[in-house]
Amino acid sequence: VRIVTCTNILKLLLFLQRVLLLVASDVDALCACKILQALFQCDHVQYTLVPVSGWQELETAFLEHKDQFKYFVLINCGANVDLLEILQPEEDVLFFVCDSHRPINVVNVYNETQIKLLVKQDDDLDVPAYDDIFRDEEDEDDDSENESDGSEPSEKRRRFEEDVIERTMRRRQKREWEARRREILFDYEQYEYHGTSSAMVMFDLAWIMSKDLNDMLWWAIVGLTDQWVQDKITQMKYVTDIGILQRHVSRHNHRNEDEENSLSIDCMRIAFEYDLRLALYQHWSLYESLCNTSYTSACLKLWSVQGQKRLQEFLADMGLPLKQVKQKFNSMDISLKENLREMIEESANKFGMKDLRVQTFSIHFGFKNKFLASDIVYATTSLMENIEKEGPETDNFIKALDSLSRSNLDKLHQGLDLAKKQLRAIQQTVASCICTNLVISQGPFLYCSLMEGTPDVKLFSKPVSLCLLSKYLLKSFVCSTKNKRCKLLPLVMAAPMDVEQGTVIMVGIPPETESSDKKNFFGRAFEKAAESTNSRTLHNHFDMSIIELKTEDRSKFLDALISLLS
Amino acid sequence: AASCRSRSEAKSGRTDLIFLIRFRHCCLLRNQRCVVAYLYDRLLRIRALRWEYGSVLPSAIHFHMSAEEVEWFNRYKKSLATYMRSVGGEEGLDLTQDIKPPKSLYIEVRCLKDYGEFEIDDGTTVLLKKNSQHFLPRWKCEQLIRQGVLEHVLS
Repeated sequence: VRIVTCTNILKLLLFLQRVLLLVASDVDALCACKILQALFQCDHVQYTLVPVSGWQELETAFLEHKDQFKYFVLINCGANVDLLEILQPEEDVLFFVCDSHRPINVVNVYNETQIKLLVKQDDDLDVPAYDDIFRDEEDEDDDSENESDGSEPSEKRRRFEEDVIERTMRRRQKREWEARRREILFDYEQYEYHGTSSAMVMFDLAWIMSKDLNDMLWWAIVGLTDQWVQDKITQMKYVTDIGILQRHVSRHNHRNEDEENSLSIDCMRIAFEYDLRLALYQHWSLYESLCNTSYTSACLKLWSVQGQKRLQEFLADMGLPLKQVKQKFNSMDISLKENLREMIEESANKFGMKDLRVQTFSIHFGFKNKFLASDIVYATTSLMENIEKEGPETDNFIKALDSLSRSNLDKLHQGLDLAKKQLRAIQQTVASCICTNLVISQGPFLYCSLMEGTPDVKLFSKPVSLCLLSKYLLKSFVCSTKNKRCKLLPLVMAAPMDVEQGTVIMVGIPPETESSDKKNFFGRAFEKAAESTNSRTLHNHFDMSIIELKTEDRSKFLDALISLLS
Repeated sequence: AASCRSRSEAKSGRTDLIFLIRFRHCCLLRNQRCVVAYLYDRLLRIRALRWEYGSVLPSAIHFHMSAEEVEWFNRYKKSLATYMRSVGGEEGLDLTQDIKPPKSLYIEVRCLKDYGEFEIDDGTTVLLKKNSQHFLPRWKCEQLIRQGVLEHVLS
């Protein structure tokens, strides 16, 4: 398998003149971009950075810049399609693709000249063998081999018959090979999933070059945490990757443990935490965080009256007075905060929440500034999908990118405020969907559609926000329904995207089960359903399971999807 | 004209007008001082413009300058150019570059508005689109930063 490993990449990059960076719009990509920018700046590699939010923007950016650049780096985009086919580049153009989308398109894997994939060595790609999918065109016409002169007619006829038999055999073989190839490719490309975070791959690259810094490590941590928040990787992969990062954290931050030699409080330090998975709880009140984190909200069923009572019991069980819990976390009594994590964990176990704590990392700099990795992920996502400001999408991208630097704390705090609004909106929408039974079973999947005029519906016209909403909704639905079969179904969610143009954004997410492998078949399913009904769809997003379609085509599209998946 | 009349009246012996004349004269002198100070301040700013924008002023600024000020600017430009040529050997020394000591050879810049294609010395072009970021040698960006097309990004 011809994949260029990280060590070779670094040698190539160092000799590059100018590079164009095409970066997708997700937090993992932003983190990978920050690390790569730092590496480029260190080595004075001139680059231009262009944000792209979908295939159309990618193509446009490529066309605009192809006369000026020969080297392109694609971050979190480009791996799962035939790049050369789509972009039609010149022979001497080189693409470096660092993308966590899987499966990687087979053409990209086996291309030796123009496409270089940045992949961690132990990431198992499961690529089909070369000979199973590629085959040189053989010359079937072998009449030239026939010597006709000077042979007897019976011999000629015998040879002719042999040739016919041979040719039929070969044609049959070719058909069998092609049928098997279709099957292999279908199996390979059927399910979408995600590999190692691009930010972690970039950090690995920095580490191999011995240019890794604590800042880059923090970005790698945020990139991985983004995959966890968005439920893109399995629990096992997350824990494994945390272990990998923990070794780096110890290496960079061991000085803090030594009392005598510790660094000044202003220096940035990263620490491993086994902390509560309550979203933004240190920058909010404990009460708000409990209400607006999907895990607690779903387990306690906070959309119902009994759920609210259960929450009160939960707080009482821990001995936390309501007044304290509703205050800003920093203003809570220190005596209550001391053993908070253990206390909450103990009570949580009684209420059926066994995984309230999660392995993660936190960053400290100065006396006031402490953030968990998940805080940064929520803040950056909200900044990136901010609907409050009018303006080109790239404005939001730039703001989100800036907020990842420690010198832009004001942007980070703005992001945290937006994130709180977003989480509240998500929880309220989830509660209303469950209470009004908006989630219906269509047979092979669950379906929920947000109406125009629903509060905060504009927030959910953005892909990541809609995906988050869908995941939280599915979690809550699984906890609320008594139907055993429905608990195992995947979910398709639709929300109005652009009222004027009459479009709807639709996402499909895999079922919510304990041992889910997070593999999503909706990408292919959406494609097929759109084809078979001639629906006007736009598959612009890098995740194939997110599409836009015209509102009028929605019902026939859904019908096709149902019959396809039944 | 009023002051002339007062003066002639005073000369003709109307001593009670002396105080009025003196008062008026002081006012006039004061006004003259203010106007001159204003014009001088404008000149100082115009001089600073040469250092900020380079030898070609944006038309918006040019529009607000009087003809005499434009001439003064051109002569200042010539004077500065002659001085810069005389300093620093054969080629002269461009004193308007690197006004603050540069910290690095290359800087990260962000494009604030759609500018189009920008040609760098060695012939390569960069497409400057709004919100694109670039990492380029400092001297290639300085002019555009001054013009407000690019913004230096500090990280």
